[in-house]
Amino acid sequence: MNPATVVHGRLRAGVRREPLLPVLVILLLALAASFQEFATVANFRNIAVQASPLIIAAVGMTYVIMTAGIDLSVGSMLFLAAAIESSQAIVGLPTALVFAAVCAAGALMGLLNGVAVAFTQVPALIVTLATMQVFRGAGGHITGQQNINLPANLLGIGTGSLLGVPTPVLLAVAVALAGGFVFSRTTFGRYVQAVGSSPDAAANAGLPVRSVLVGAYALAGLLAAVASLTQTARLGAVQPSIGQGYELTVITAVVLGGTTLFGGRGSIGGTVLGALVLTTVQTGLVFSGASPYIFDIVRGSVLLAAVLAAGARWRNLAHAVRLTGRRRPSRDGPYNSATSA
Amino acid sequence: MNRFGVARYVAAVAVASLTLAGCGSSASSDGSDAATSAKKRTIGVSFDLLNAIRQAEKASIQKAAEAAGYSVVFDVADQDAQKQASQIQDLIQTKKVDAVIVIAQDGQQIASSASLAKARKVPFLAIDRAVADQQNVTFQITGDPVADGKAVADEFLAAAKTKPLKVLELVGGLTDQNAIGRRDGFNAALAGQPNITIVSQVPTDWNPTQALDGTSNALQKDPTINAIYIPSDFLLPSVQSALTAAKKLAPIGDPKHIFMVTIDGDQNGCKAMQAKTLDADIATPVEEFGKQAIAAVTTAVGGKPVDPKTVQAKGLTLNQANFATTSSQVWGCAS
Repeated sequence: MNPATVVHGRLRAGVRREPLLPVLVILLLALAASFQEFATVANFRNIAVQASPLIIAAVGMTYVIMTAGIDLSVGSMLFLAAAIESSQAIVGLPTALVFAAVCAAGALMGLLNGVAVAFTQVPALIVTLATMQVFRGAGGHITGQQNINLPANLLGIGTGSLLGVPTPVLLAVAVALAGGFVFSRTTFGRYVQAVGSSPDAAANAGLPVRSVLVGAYALAGLLAAVASLTQTARLGAVQPSIGQGYELTVITAVVLGGTTLFGGRGSIGGTVLGALVLTTVQTGLVFSGASPYIFDIVRGSVLLAAVLAAGARWRNLAHAVRLTGRRRPSRDGPYNSATSA
Repeated sequence: MNRFGVARYVAAVAVASLTLAGCGSSASSDGSDAATSAKKRTIGVSFDLLNAIRQAEKASIQKAAEAAGYSVVFDVADQDAQKQASQIQDLIQTKKVDAVIVIAQDGQQIASSASLAKARKVPFLAIDRAVADQQNVTFQITGDPVADGKAVADEFLAAAKTKPLKVLELVGGLTDQNAIGRRDGFNAALAGQPNITIVSQVPTDWNPTQALDGTSNALQKDPTINAIYIPSDFLLPSVQSALTAAKKLAPIGDPKHIFMVTIDGDQNGCKAMQAKTLDADIATPVEEFGKQAIAAVTTAVGGKPVDPKTVQAKGLTLNQANFATTSSQVWGCAS
């Protein structure tokens, strides 16, 4: 086959798989053409650093939404993890121990969400709305609602670099690659897709539905803690309003990336692109010198566009299922319980 | 099996709620001897949240109340307007306090609490945040955000006498009267000034991450920015982080120094003033809030009308020239 045809075919397949990719490219080109200072290495580095905590948290949220769940507590988990990091009992420990303790705390918070969602009939929306308040309250209790500066040894994860690449970016890339691998190449990832597609069918097929749900929420908690470590290190301090409203940004990135709120369908690559688009839009707004009021309008419009696009995808899918009488396929291939169990 | 699981969950939530309620009741009785002292008057205080400035405001109320012989019952609404309404109802109807001092989470929604207080003949006082409907408010003392914005502008005007300023203006929450007042006062005072150009206005929603990212983006857009207006000390660490990342955080006198002025006068601001990375800070007169509110309580419970009914207290300018003599009056430097 002609190599040009192969490349063209692959490009088309890539665009079909990640429709947000051309959006991001067009956005970057338009901003670069409009503002001379935009297309600089320093600015792209700036965008990548700003997007990193969002990518990390959004990868975890992708797993949750893939199970047809939602986690509204992600911003509060981020704050509580930061509060634990800054607490007297933890902050003085060796750096690796501090990070391990914060990650363990994040996983535990996620575990609490997962257990509550998996073992009760209470919807994830209600469970995580409640834990959102619990976690924020606990964080406020630990910090006394005060700004707490972090010691220099805890800042490297947000402000350092390795071979010229900022640490948060390296971390985000590692999380995205690992998240993508687990999602598409492991039994757990396929179980997540199966549970999100149809929990009843998954249960009938003998899949450990509750364990999968607990695992997805625990992973989201763990990654919220990692995002917290990078975010607080960038800020240099733990502040009481860290993570407030962050759940909306994270969910927007995931939905914008093509993960359906009804579960069973999505991709980590899409989520990464969603986070990059959101961050690029935010940066573009500052470059454009737009009125502060425009920022909210644009942010709200992006969320609306993401939800409408998700709704359209769902309607198309439902229509296709009605026409063919078949179950909806996963973006990463149909779930086959016989091969993945 | 499933029902049993739900029952266990509900039982766990109930136990947790009771435990939390127990903790809450012990916390809210902070400083209160109302139950044991029949004669001592009690003031119910409801704050929207409890951050650094609220801690200072709480201390100023407690100090003034103690001096006047009142006990205080203290509640925090955790930024939840509904919760605040319930707390105030509890203060008035259950705890039967003699007066209520409020920092409103929502200046509109608090009106129903004020009318409840009036119906029960309990003086209702608002501090720090303005209440939209003043009809049932006994006394209100707030900062003067427009005057504070102008005071910041005065510092910019003084600095612009020696060099032209290209300014990054951070804006707080766009639905917050304090943020809007601080922005409008600043912009009005600088309108038409030839030596000062506002090159970027970035909204922060009072969110430190947005302040950090917004400042970084603005510095990328225009590396020649040499002045930043930060509308609250609360956002100062974010701006300092952005400047550090851009290798532009330098003390006064260094050619790389970026001229910065903030408002509030908290510990962050005071430390930055001492380190000479911050040029000026307009300090909120927190001590006045407590003093004047308690004085108004005394007048109101004595059956007299409070006059004036509304007070706007301007901030105190702390700059490098008066730091040695004025810092002791600034709450963030004193604490």
